Amino acid sequence: MTPRLELVDLRKSYGDFVAVDGISLAVPDGTVYGLLGPNGAGKTTTLRMIMDIIAPDTGQVLFDGRPRRRDDLEKIGYLPEERGLYRKMSVKDQLAFLGELRGLPRPVAKERAAAWLDRVDLADRSERKVEELSKGQQQKIQIAGTLIHEPEVVILDEPFSGLDPINQGLFKDLLSEYKGEGRTIVFSTHIMEQADKLCDHICLISKGRAVLVGELAAIKRREGGNAYRLTAEGDLGRCAEVEGVTEAVVDEEGGTARLFLADGVDAAAVLTRLVSFLAVRDFRNQEPELEEIFVKVVNDEG
Amino acid sequence: MKGSLNKTFILAKREFFVRIRSKGFWIGTLILPLFMAVLFAVPALIFSSSTSQLDLVMVDATGRVGEAVAARMAERRDDPGSRIAQFSIDVVAPAADRQRQRDELDERLLGEEIDAWVWLDRAGLENDRVEYRARSVSNTFSQDKLEDEISAAVREMRLTEAGYDPQEIRDLIGRVRLSTVRVSAEGSREEAGEAGFILAYGLFFLLYMVLLLWGQQVLQGVLEEKSSRVVEIVVSAARPFDLMLGKLLGIGAAALTQFSIWMVTLVVLTAPGLISSLASAPDLNLPSISAAQALFVVVFFLLGFFVYSSMYAAVGSAFNNLQEAQQLSFVPTAAIILPMFFLLPVINDSNGTLAVITSMVPFLSPILMPLRIAVLTPPLWQVLLSIVITAAFVLLMVWVCARIYRTGILMYGKKPTFKELIKWLSYS
Repeated sequence: MTPRLELVDLRKSYGDFVAVDGISLAVPDGTVYGLLGPNGAGKTTTLRMIMDIIAPDTGQVLFDGRPRRRDDLEKIGYLPEERGLYRKMSVKDQLAFLGELRGLPRPVAKERAAAWLDRVDLADRSERKVEELSKGQQQKIQIAGTLIHEPEVVILDEPFSGLDPINQGLFKDLLSEYKGEGRTIVFSTHIMEQADKLCDHICLISKGRAVLVGELAAIKRREGGNAYRLTAEGDLGRCAEVEGVTEAVVDEEGGTARLFLADGVDAAAVLTRLVSFLAVRDFRNQEPELEEIFVKVVNDEG
Repeated sequence: MKGSLNKTFILAKREFFVRIRSKGFWIGTLILPLFMAVLFAVPALIFSSSTSQLDLVMVDATGRVGEAVAARMAERRDDPGSRIAQFSIDVVAPAADRQRQRDELDERLLGEEIDAWVWLDRAGLENDRVEYRARSVSNTFSQDKLEDEISAAVREMRLTEAGYDPQEIRDLIGRVRLSTVRVSAEGSREEAGEAGFILAYGLFFLLYMVLLLWGQQVLQGVLEEKSSRVVEIVVSAARPFDLMLGKLLGIGAAALTQFSIWMVTLVVLTAPGLISSLASAPDLNLPSISAAQALFVVVFFLLGFFVYSSMYAAVGSAFNNLQEAQQLSFVPTAAIILPMFFLLPVINDSNGTLAVITSMVPFLSPILMPLRIAVLTPPLWQVLLSIVITAAFVLLMVWVCARIYRTGILMYGKKPTFKELIKWLSYS
């Protein structure tokens, strides 16, 4: 099946600085896709090229398997990293305007605006100017404005940065609802923990290049299959000397250790050896944190 | 392309309604017509109130002079606004008891039945004296007039008595009136024409001010979008070009609304005879602007708006805030001020070579052509040619400025130099 959104070898340079250096990826429909990487890796530039805000030097953005057209953008909801609203406009006019701008006929835009204001509990503020609202209320309007045209694809640049905890919760609920409806969500973040919790698929970007692309669970299995977590009483310090263990990170006080096994080593055999000198309470395969994978991959890249 | 036009329209609509719904817009829009109305109406009202009536009783012991004065007064027509009262003269014969008659007349004066009375008799006239009694004797202009006419009547009487033919006398001592012509460095013209030039000056400065103010509105609008960071959300749905065009069209529509209201007011207020009929004053011969003239002025105002405002939009897009933008906003401002250097030559010789050429040059035409139109209607082909040239220039300006704009609106941080702005033109 052709994925809705696909990037083919996108490149963008500003003078000597290469912001995006040949990124290709396909976003499977109905998934939450994370674009991960530190600040300055090229995430925002990539998202802006998807939205046709910046033209790529080379490469293509494909929508439904063909080059993306301007009117495809109406099927996308976009929340940039730097966001804002017209301060002097009333809340309901603002939402209706954003809806109209994204292709809704005016009456529909007005209806949706009212419905969204109900939904985020701001119906009583609908005549107020945006500048009269609190920051948290403005964030709600911003979220509503992003989703008002009920887009099939949602593209969010660092969506949770700057949101207060209530709105973060609201936004996450909305996104899981969207995912449940089979819509596609692409978001960028530099906070790996967030991606770890939310993403089905990821693309790790470093210095403008996609260094790791794929399904998160598969990546974790592949990248960190040999890490084990041991909880035991006894002389944990001797773990590193056990045959088949390449490295042990011991936490003496907590009575735990993380063991990294050599490739091809049978975990059961290692456990047998450990039991000989420790009272083992728990021994389990541990998925690596995304953070670790990222650091490892970036280091491998040199 | 259709979608693009649609977006431009949605954006223009937003700009228009945000402005139209603000109180400031309407205060600004309505204050000027009010001011104009006052400017035109007050002098008219003053003139009409000053042509007061003076009720005069003339006790005539000569039996001739009184009637002659009354007849001369009725013939004489003074210029409106000359602060001379219209006399209503009641000629009476002296009563038997003169002292009693005088006391009665004084009483009528104090009772405000009459405004003044004079006593004409042989004895007084021989001494060249006529007694004028009134509550107020400060209306010297009116007294001069009375004095003039009595003198003339007495002169006529004396000459008749000396045996001259009355008709001959009238021909010989006929009144001479001054016809005023002002001579100045710009050449001589009749005073009424001067008022037309005042109107042209007024229109020039109005255009200059309004183009400057609305240009600043565009500058601020672009900067506000940028500083509030809403711009990226908008350009994810509409092209930067659509955004800029929408902004220019929307703000332009608001500016047009305001300017049209002003021009209609001007046309109505200066319509010949309107003010004078309202104020029941004589026709003041004020300068007037016809509806056709006003229409052309509005067209040039719109063209000027697009020329200058597209530059303001480009400047606004390149900077982060108003302070930074001030450094470069002198470029469009200078373009608006430029026509001022040609103001005098164009007004003096509005169909001369310099005037014809400058009213075709794009940066000058939006202000100089309306000036020519207000002074004197230039040939229609010149007006139309100027419109075509300026409109073509508008397209060029919008295209050039849009290229700076679409790079500028997403640039934050370091403020660009003029050189960099020029470089942005070449970005694809």
